[in-house]
Amino acid sequence: MFLPAEKSGEVDLKKTYDAVIVGSGAAGGMAAHVLTSHGMQVLLLEAGKKLNINKELRSMEWPYDHPRRGDMPPDCHALSGREYAIRNPPYAQGSPYKHVYSYVEDGNGSDYAKDIVVDEKDHPFTGTRYAWVRARCLGGKTNIWGRLALRLSDYDFKAASHDGYGEDWPISYADLAPYYDKVDLYLGISGHKENLPHLPDGLFQRATRLTPAEVQLRASLARMGRVLTPYRAGVTTDGLKHNKYRSRCYGRGACDRRVGGCDIHAAFDSPTGLIFPALDTGNLALRTNATVFEVTVDKNTGKASGVSFIDTDTGKTYAAKGRSVLLGASTLESARLLLLSKSTLYPNGMANSSGHVGHNFCEHFMGPGVYGLVKDRVGKPRTLDDGRPGSFYLARFRNLSDRHSKFIRGYGFEGDSGTKMFPDNAYGTPGFGAAYKKHVRDYAGAFIGMGGFGEVLPRYENYVDLDPSVKDRWGVPVLRFHYRFGDNEKKMAADMADSAREMFEAASIEVLAVNREILTEGYSIHELGTSRMGTDPKTSVVNQFQQCHDVKNLLVVDGSTHVSASCQNPTWTIMALCWRSCDRLADELKKGNV
Amino acid sequence: MPYEIHRRDLIRIAAAAALAGPAANAAPAAVEPPKFFTPAEFALLDELTEMIVPTDEHSPGARAAKVAAYIDMRVAEAFETKEKETWRAGLKLVDALSAKMHGRPFLEAASGERVAVLTRMAEHEKNPKTPEEVFFRELKRATVRGYYTSKIGIHQDIEYQGNTMLDEFVGYEVT
Repeated sequence: MFLPAEKSGEVDLKKTYDAVIVGSGAAGGMAAHVLTSHGMQVLLLEAGKKLNINKELRSMEWPYDHPRRGDMPPDCHALSGREYAIRNPPYAQGSPYKHVYSYVEDGNGSDYAKDIVVDEKDHPFTGTRYAWVRARCLGGKTNIWGRLALRLSDYDFKAASHDGYGEDWPISYADLAPYYDKVDLYLGISGHKENLPHLPDGLFQRATRLTPAEVQLRASLARMGRVLTPYRAGVTTDGLKHNKYRSRCYGRGACDRRVGGCDIHAAFDSPTGLIFPALDTGNLALRTNATVFEVTVDKNTGKASGVSFIDTDTGKTYAAKGRSVLLGASTLESARLLLLSKSTLYPNGMANSSGHVGHNFCEHFMGPGVYGLVKDRVGKPRTLDDGRPGSFYLARFRNLSDRHSKFIRGYGFEGDSGTKMFPDNAYGTPGFGAAYKKHVRDYAGAFIGMGGFGEVLPRYENYVDLDPSVKDRWGVPVLRFHYRFGDNEKKMAADMADSAREMFEAASIEVLAVNREILTEGYSIHELGTSRMGTDPKTSVVNQFQQCHDVKNLLVVDGSTHVSASCQNPTWTIMALCWRSCDRLADELKKGNV
Repeated sequence: MPYEIHRRDLIRIAAAAALAGPAANAAPAAVEPPKFFTPAEFALLDELTEMIVPTDEHSPGARAAKVAAYIDMRVAEAFETKEKETWRAGLKLVDALSAKMHGRPFLEAASGERVAVLTRMAEHEKNPKTPEEVFFRELKRATVRGYYTSKIGIHQDIEYQGNTMLDEFVGYEVT
């Protein structure tokens, strides 16, 4: 049963909902699931359209059955990594193309996500360079995410206590562990238990397997006290009896050829994982093409009274009312929304008495990595290596028990090896003719590579605000970026490249290339921390339950609230935190406390 | 000269086959007239792609995989006119280089002479300098993309085994 639910619940704008949720990705979807399961009446507003995602992704379509072998139509342009590095936002300015998309549309298989990712022409932004990938459609970026589902630990939540930089989170791992468990069980996760204190195990379903090259690297790393583990994927490998919209994974392996995305929904996405089941409770009303541009205020109480939104089809504006409002519009869009919500009561934007909204913006940087050849694999009979939702993850090893002399915090690697449908080495192998062709074929399955994800420190001076003059297609002021990587990131990047080389050499993998360059800010699509949580209303925006200090019935439930980025991919943490906050909110709503 | 006649014959046979219906379309050349390139340019492009990824004892090459037709389609609909000009000019460069080296256009040159022309063009592949070298890189990029995304490239040459429903993941279990 893979068909998306057609019913969207009846939207009644005269009604005061228990909760109005803005955004339908990992955070908004989770909020809808948890609140409706507590019997709350919920309105979910999504700025983008509702897509038949199966039709968009067509996961098993062969390249030769697509007119352009997976490429977009000629009037569409995808920004390249180089363009981000040499040009300045707004990136679509002056472009002759009809549509301009972010880099995730670049390369093979880009045609499948062009309706999911926003057109930069409609959604400009200004300021410093940033590869800002946005998805406006039901489910947001969860439709095409990379699926790596990792937990944070007290090495992350209490990092400030360990190295003295920044702030600790107002929670510890023990507070969040039960909610990680809930997310694991409700959505399904694949992985292998490793008993690492800094990368806690989840309640894993069947793990994926490793290629011979990965086994070789894992064994070598074990001798160094480091751990390579099968990709911990937010994918159900054994199936979920409680969800009729999702199939288990069948190892079809199109995961990386379609800019992510899974048309049988074995990989988690918010619509089939969270929203359709929430609609089935009868407690959820959903409206798409509803771009919220303001959180409205009850002047008497100072509380949030609901939201105002634009119907993006008609351009008409509407108001929706709620006893509580939850922002899950994404780290940067939620900050934008708070800053847009200016009133006499809140002249700097809502929930911003601290002046911290938009600040302490952080993420993961990418770029440094290594690419190598496993000579034993050359000319071996073909194996099936890409029939899995991910290959491997190499857990953090820096600044755990030791202290590196040049930088604080850490990084992990994502990697991949073996045969793929398309032999990437065909581009780089020199020459032509029969010898060239044989070389490409013999070497196609013999490569292994990995790239790092490093923690970017949160800094007050890294922030976004509203551009005073530039507006988007619907007349809403856009974000202006003031964001650059710092010294710690640069030193960490150098170590990342050095250690990547060392680890390959130690495993007898012939190093072919070491990349030392940091990619443009934003490349990891892991932006975090513009409304951080904390105990002090002067230096933080929300409390540990993601309630705004200034406005108790307004919650920010997405990555905005992360105090620091850690180096682990954030989606699973976003959902665990949101579940915890919504359990608490449902309780408070029942007691009449908000 | 014999080669050119041979090519024209093939196109004629192919056109006849296309008219005769699907059962008879086994000729290895383009069954439709090119969308962008002239027949002469197309014949040159077809030969160049086949020289880059030729038929060998393991699998058919770029000609059988209709790589020239794929490139022709992409160039025909290219958004930037510059891209079209680059391709047309590039093919002229090949003939000009052949004329300079051997005194005749590429398709009229002997097989060894053609290899010498392409070898010259591929000389600084990693860091191309001359217009011929720059064009070779673009030609090879398009050929690689067209060939290895084709049915022949995926199934017969690379022998890709995935994109199928599996009960169990393949590989080594971590214990």
